[in-house]
Amino acid sequence: MLNYLLFIATIGGIYGLLALGLNLIWGGTGMVNLGLAGFFALGAYASALLTTTGHLPILAGWVAAPIVAGAAGLVVVLCTTRLREDYLAIVTLGFAEVVRLVASNEIWLTHGTDGISGIPGPWRATLGREWFNAAYLPILLVVLVAVFWLVRRIDRSPYGRVLRAIREDAQVAQVAGKAVLRYKAQAFALSAAIAGLAGALYGHFTSYIAPDLFLPLITVYIFLAVASGGVGSPAGALVGAYLLMALLESARFFVEYIPAVSAVQRAALKELLIAVALILVLRLMPRGLVPERIPRAPRA
Amino acid sequence: MNRLVGRRTALLSGVAAVAAPSVLRAQGEPIKIATLTPLTGAGGSYGPVMAKVAKAVVDEVNAAGGVLGRKIQLVSEDDQTNPDAGVRAARKLIDVDKVSAIVGTWASAVTTAVAPLCWESKTFLCTVSGADSITQLPHQGYLIRTQPNTVLQITRTGDFLVSLGAKKIFTLVPQAPFAQHSIEIMNGVARKAGGSHGGLIYDDKKTTYRTEVDQALRFGPDAILCAGYMPDTVVLLKDLYRAGYKGKIIGQAYAINQKLIQQIGQNEVVEGVYTYAPSVAEGSRALERVKKMSGLSDPDPYTSQVYDHVNMVLMAMAAAKDTTGTAIKDNIRKVSQGGGKAVDNAIDGIKAITAGEKVDYAGASGPCDFDDKGDILDCKFRYEQIKAGKPVLVKIA
Repeated sequence: MLNYLLFIATIGGIYGLLALGLNLIWGGTGMVNLGLAGFFALGAYASALLTTTGHLPILAGWVAAPIVAGAAGLVVVLCTTRLREDYLAIVTLGFAEVVRLVASNEIWLTHGTDGISGIPGPWRATLGREWFNAAYLPILLVVLVAVFWLVRRIDRSPYGRVLRAIREDAQVAQVAGKAVLRYKAQAFALSAAIAGLAGALYGHFTSYIAPDLFLPLITVYIFLAVASGGVGSPAGALVGAYLLMALLESARFFVEYIPAVSAVQRAALKELLIAVALILVLRLMPRGLVPERIPRAPRA
Repeated sequence: MNRLVGRRTALLSGVAAVAAPSVLRAQGEPIKIATLTPLTGAGGSYGPVMAKVAKAVVDEVNAAGGVLGRKIQLVSEDDQTNPDAGVRAARKLIDVDKVSAIVGTWASAVTTAVAPLCWESKTFLCTVSGADSITQLPHQGYLIRTQPNTVLQITRTGDFLVSLGAKKIFTLVPQAPFAQHSIEIMNGVARKAGGSHGGLIYDDKKTTYRTEVDQALRFGPDAILCAGYMPDTVVLLKDLYRAGYKGKIIGQAYAINQKLIQQIGQNEVVEGVYTYAPSVAEGSRALERVKKMSGLSDPDPYTSQVYDHVNMVLMAMAAAKDTTGTAIKDNIRKVSQGGGKAVDNAIDGIKAITAGEKVDYAGASGPCDFDDKGDILDCKFRYEQIKAGKPVLVKIA
């Protein structure tokens, strides 16, 4: 049981990283990035390839993943400077699908739909399965706390205020003399880098990645997490990610005690339970569990 | 205030979720095994009946006294045809339920994702996935599969086409783990028979395949293998018909099925098209039982395979006098092959094993004999031809 909880806490933490990344761009500047799964995939593949076919240490993979994903984020955002809202969402969704299709077709590089298995984990062999789980969670939590600290600092800083100004009205921000494009590009690249880092952490934890892991479903999960946690609040993003994971997993145990239903009905009930729970959260707390709080700007 | 109540309730229900199973689990000591089949998602039309048949086998064995005097408890989880969800479900099965075997993983990506968890935790895994790479994983023996791999499937199909007199074969296959390999194997088969071969890989989400068909016809084939799924094969067959192709066509029976004929809507498009499929053990008593358990008159190979998985796992436990995954790994081949009393279900098998006899299981999907890597050694294939919108059996070989 403990081992399972450690595993779920780790995957929850990875979802948490993704949520923090999404919140920065969606909650911060109001840009809808449906390509989250693509950046997640880029990070995962970059790190997996460097450490398997490239034989580099895991740390190198973890450093390279956010750089690759961040650079891709910069390219995407600079290609889409004129797009906003729905249009940006469509293009980013397309980007994620392109990443997935490249991963499934460039077999020489990515092993195609077979995926990459045997991705090394830190001290996996010496620790054994159970201790590896126990050791990975603290590593992940350190990264999570560091990223949380970073995005929270951004959120509270004058920089964060500019991002929010762009979210509310980009034109006004521009008129106030802020370089809107530069801010957007930086925030988007940083958000993509965080997603890439999450991807690297995921791959080295589960030891296997494949294009099927990066379907748009994961992006939808993270949007749900951020929406239920509270758009615009980093703490909310984290809470939302863990809430989502708790719902996904605890629903399993609830439906096991419903008598006289077949396995498939149980699976459907499970999905239903999760959906109802999320609807309830958003119905009762439309601004999320930890609503955004906008600190007053200090007087000059 | 309102929010406080909300949080407290959320916290309580979370605690309850974690605490509930351990309280309820404290009674009895049944042997636990699990199905991990796709109950939702792309495999959702296969998984439910697979889980149902596994449950029926377990109920039957329990009614006959169980294994080693203990009852068997079956836990069924949903892999959602998605590797991420599959891994989470498998972790729950391994770490919380502590099952000794997982049977029925369907999609290759799910099996590849779940397999490392199984061999690391010494849990036995039986799968119906076909990708060749699966048995090449370093699984230390903790994995067997009853689905013939690509090599076996394509070689047999190629041999069948050659036996029909095909000289120039063209392979059209969607991008999937078996794509490149399928083309290479078919190439070998055609060359060996003194013919020639060409192939291309296409994207299975396209709405037209005119360019692909043009490219195939430029090769001048007298037989085309369409190794795709149902939706893309619909488009492909229509485009081949429009292009005036008159040669032979063969495809997987799971793609060229009744639904495909209905969707195409014109019998002349599919007239004469051949299909192939790993055959269930037609006429065997085991298959009759699967028919009864599943309530289907024509159960698919996956369902038959899961029936065999459960029976073999339970017999391996009886032979080992132990219920761990390692015990199953070390004994599964002792009950599945190597001669002895022929059995086709676990109840008879367990009786014979308890009486000290050696058994050799042959089930609903075939003889169920495995090589060292976990691949099945042999399997019968069923070839059919569509005539006036209905599949007609050509042969089982």
